[in-house]
Amino acid sequence: MSYLSISHVTKKFGDTVVVDNFNLDIEKGEFVSFLGPSGCGKTTTLRMVAGFEIPTAGKILLDGADITDKAPNQRNVGMIFQSYALFPNMTVAQNIAFGLSVRKESKEMIAQRVDEMINLINLEKHTAKYPYQLSGGQQQRVSLARALAIHPQVLLLDEPLSALDAKIRVSLRAEIRAIQKKLGITAIFVTHDQEEALSISDRIVVMNSGLMEQVGTPFEIYNFPTTVFSANFVGSLNNASAEVVDPALSLISIDGAHFESAVDLKERKKGDKVRVAIRPERLSFASEQRKANVVDATIENITFLGSVVRIRVKIGNTKFNMDTFNNPFLDLPKIGAIEQVTCSREAVLVLDE
Amino acid sequence: MKTSPASVPVKVKRPFSTKRLGSFLIFLVVSLYFLVPLGATFYWSLRGQKDVLGFEAYRKLFADTNFLPAFSESIVNAVATIVLSLLIVVPTAYWVTLRLPKLRPIVEFITLLPFVIPGIVLVFGIIRLYSRPPLLLTATYDSSRVLLICVYVALSFPYMFRSVDNGLRAIDVRTLTEAAQSLGANWSAILFRVIFPNLRVALLSGALLTFAIVIGELTIALYMAQHTLGPYMANLTRSKVYEPSAMAIVAFAITWAAMGIIDFVGRGSSKHLQMADTD
Repeated sequence: MSYLSISHVTKKFGDTVVVDNFNLDIEKGEFVSFLGPSGCGKTTTLRMVAGFEIPTAGKILLDGADITDKAPNQRNVGMIFQSYALFPNMTVAQNIAFGLSVRKESKEMIAQRVDEMINLINLEKHTAKYPYQLSGGQQQRVSLARALAIHPQVLLLDEPLSALDAKIRVSLRAEIRAIQKKLGITAIFVTHDQEEALSISDRIVVMNSGLMEQVGTPFEIYNFPTTVFSANFVGSLNNASAEVVDPALSLISIDGAHFESAVDLKERKKGDKVRVAIRPERLSFASEQRKANVVDATIENITFLGSVVRIRVKIGNTKFNMDTFNNPFLDLPKIGAIEQVTCSREAVLVLDE
Repeated sequence: MKTSPASVPVKVKRPFSTKRLGSFLIFLVVSLYFLVPLGATFYWSLRGQKDVLGFEAYRKLFADTNFLPAFSESIVNAVATIVLSLLIVVPTAYWVTLRLPKLRPIVEFITLLPFVIPGIVLVFGIIRLYSRPPLLLTATYDSSRVLLICVYVALSFPYMFRSVDNGLRAIDVRTLTEAAQSLGANWSAILFRVIFPNLRVALLSGALLTFAIVIGELTIALYMAQHTLGPYMANLTRSKVYEPSAMAIVAFAITWAAMGIIDFVGRGSSKHLQMADTD
């Protein structure tokens, strides 16, 4: 049995369904991210685990105990907020001690735990400071220490890095992941930032309009998206309407240009309309020896993006982005030229609509 | 130690403009409007002894056997009003902010009613309502005093609610409440350890505004036959020459002291509410 089980959970506000039949089992020590755009229901799901929202239907089990209707202060769940939510009237040490103090732990135990947490987040010189005297990154580390001090069964992180600048985000997310691994704590991380989710998670739940689109490891989510939304939301993607030409050979046609896919299309019929997706980095200029999946493309535009050069090509009437690594000796084609481009069979994804 | 030229502050001469002159004149006129009567009252209060400027009027005021009882009664009334008002307004404003934001306009309207209803109307309405069974509260001096305090609580609503509401808006009440809940805090721990301490300035300013109103209130106390500072001042004006001015200055000093306390406490605690602007 899984450690945290969210079973058939639905949440409605009035007539609006915000989360619809959400099912997820999380193992102990696992780091799971809920990824999706604003309004997809990821924060509401997190808040139901925290106890701030009560599900309209379904159950939440934590270590075998039903916590669906339990008050937030009875759940032993730590929460980190986007706005840090440190108590302005308390110092760093008092903030960290708060959870233990309301649980009426002994003074010695509180002092020892506060010391442990301060060491964990490397803020030894700031224990007597008030939140306003700390930077955003430091405040969020205190918030992490405060949540961990109570030995929570699950750590919930609601977009904790969104208010920080890019450099701090990257370093703090690595720090959060390292601490989570060190303590072996089960964590749920809510974000709309795909890079954050891909870099930090054991598993990602891609959500859209209250529904779970796909659950998988970051590798699976990026390389093998199962829905158009999942493919579009995680990473950039070319997607096009195509027609099945030969189901047995998994051959499809995009405006007359033939591509072979690794996806089994035997259950489809010739002439069926399908949606095809190819990641920009999987397309490349074809070498003379290569024969399979080679199509003619017109060069429409070339954009320099630093480490990557994005080339916009037109295959039939469909426009595709093609990404290639930048190097000083790159021989780029001229705009308007017709070149042969290719991709592997595995790069041609056939998605559910 | 030498000071580097770069660290020497450079005085920039701002060109004379009619706009600046206009602003200065407005400031001067407004200052005179407030300060001349105050100065004149103070000057008048010092003339208690013939041909000598001194504090004779103040001495006579404090020596008056009716002054201190009236003063202390007003203080007790003010403290009771503040306590009752805080107990009603803080939980109401907190709950409206947290759970019932749609009710805010209604609560605001109710708290503003004392501004709309004139004191004289209010006091006669109250006397009529509470002078007959089953709500007979004007029968004795003490029961009338309880009623007076309740009326003062209602009068304090606009100031108290506004102060508390502003304080609640300055902090992220919802998130702080949820953070405390997730750490295991119950409602009393949330209110007394998180919310109240962060509303310190707001509560203090509401309390001191209430204090200032109750100390100087005349109409309602007079018609309810209470021996508080307001009626005492009114009587004093009828029978004495210099003592009323001394009394006005004393009342003014109390109000300014109250404002000074708000400012002093506010400086310390407003820092806590600042957000760090750098990462």
